Amino acid sequence: MISELILTGILQGLLLAFVAYGVMIPFRLLNFPDLTAEGAYPLGGAITASLIILEVNPIIAVLIGAIGGGLAGIATAYIHLQFKVNTLLAGIILSTMLYSVNLRLMGKPNLALFNQNILFSSDNILIRILIVSTLLALFIIPLLLFLRTNLGLRLRAVGFNPEFAKRHSISITRWTLFGLFLGNAYTGLAGGLMVQTQCYADVGMGIGIVIHALAALMIGESIVGNATLRKQLLAPLIGALIYQQIQGLALSLGLAPSDLKLLTGGIVLIVIAIRGKVL
Amino acid sequence: MLELYNIKKSFPGNFEPTLKDINLNLRQGDFCIVIGSNGSGKSTLMRTISGECTLDSGKIAINGKDATKQDRSEFIACVTQDVTKGTISEMTLLENIILSQMRGKSGNLNFYKKKETKVISIIKSLNMGLEAYINQPLQKLSGGQKQIIATLMAISSKPEILLLDEHTSALDPKMQKSLMQYTTQSIAQYNITAMMITHKLDDAATYGNRLIMLHQGRIVLDVHGEEKKALDTNMLLALFHQYEDLTLKSSGETL
Repeated sequence: MISELILTGILQGLLLAFVAYGVMIPFRLLNFPDLTAEGAYPLGGAITASLIILEVNPIIAVLIGAIGGGLAGIATAYIHLQFKVNTLLAGIILSTMLYSVNLRLMGKPNLALFNQNILFSSDNILIRILIVSTLLALFIIPLLLFLRTNLGLRLRAVGFNPEFAKRHSISITRWTLFGLFLGNAYTGLAGGLMVQTQCYADVGMGIGIVIHALAALMIGESIVGNATLRKQLLAPLIGALIYQQIQGLALSLGLAPSDLKLLTGGIVLIVIAIRGKVL
Repeated sequence: MLELYNIKKSFPGNFEPTLKDINLNLRQGDFCIVIGSNGSGKSTLMRTISGECTLDSGKIAINGKDATKQDRSEFIACVTQDVTKGTISEMTLLENIILSQMRGKSGNLNFYKKKETKVISIIKSLNMGLEAYINQPLQKLSGGQKQIIATLMAISSKPEILLLDEHTSALDPKMQKSLMQYTTQSIAQYNITAMMITHKLDDAATYGNRLIMLHQGRIVLDVHGEEKKALDTNMLLALFHQYEDLTLKSSGETL
């Protein structure tokens, strides 16, 4: 029973890690607080579920879901850059709009994927963990490598010091669009994987996902730090795994699932208080 | 190479324009020293040339082409007293220098760590022991060390135009001399057109092949070649006092 709980927590943690990376890229690398994940996550799920029902290969479906999430990020960046809308507000506006888009895509508030060809056809949780771990490695290692290249350096320069970037002919517009695409593509990917794990897509599945991811990111950063690139990239994974174990522990101790959001908010506040700074 | 025509710049709330009809023509490789009392418009002139400030009127040409409305960051590197604008304190020394070397160039997917040896040799050429900090974030370095690095970064980007605004102000006399030597050697080596603001009249007399003095937003002295060589610290000091007296007389004040 306990081992099953831990393994479920690991699987959920690995899935949440994608979102934590998706949130970390705009927040930490671009200094662009972004809430698009609230819409990009269910968008990835809605696209993936709709395509699976149309009998599209589940891997292709999830990749298209990721691209959908990425395009949502581009839209948020565009709203901010073009209309000078605050980054948070731009994300909220887009997420609100995406709610209708997701409903349109699914045709109804939720879609069941039972008896469909999905990635997680096996009920064996170890196999599921292996699949998600492999996908995580396939998508995160290239990110780490990219950030160590000359182009990756430019992306980080935009977030750290936009004035410096301008002086060095680095296009803030281009890199912001790219960074928001990348971050929300990870989030969309997580949405696509989640619907295949739970065998249904729900239009409300994105509610609170940003705060879950932020909690994971902050826990990770409190434990491993974020002073170097390696630590910054390790933090979302470590944080997401620990965060899901805390959630599992809370449930096993008798906390009602409906109280988990209260717990999440509390965790975020405690981490902020310990670290002594906001985000 | 760098031509300024009738540059005017004013700021809201200021009674008089900060820059009034500035005309200047620098040739390739010129090293122009800019002096003047506080508030004379020296830093505004630099910021206007770099594009940080917009012009009210006038024209800026680079290599004979009108660059007034163009993004001039491709041609110009700046070092100001505020090094935070010219460096990224969260990034390592290596990362900062690599970024500066990419200025104006298209990026690529090469790993920047591969250039570490080359960058160390550049830092060693300064002979200031900074190579030990190659993988340290700049925030761990002192203000003076950051100023040296900001200068190194600006020069290593091999700009066509280099603007230096009191770039040695946070350094001790020994370090100042070393950095000035490195600066002058590099300007000559890469044939960079440079402007340097300084309040140190010794430096103004020693370095550069041209000198301009700003007073109340106008160029009141412009010397180059042999005339510049003939200037010494005492002569510059006398000129300073002359313009200070003129200001006091025109405003009706007495000493």
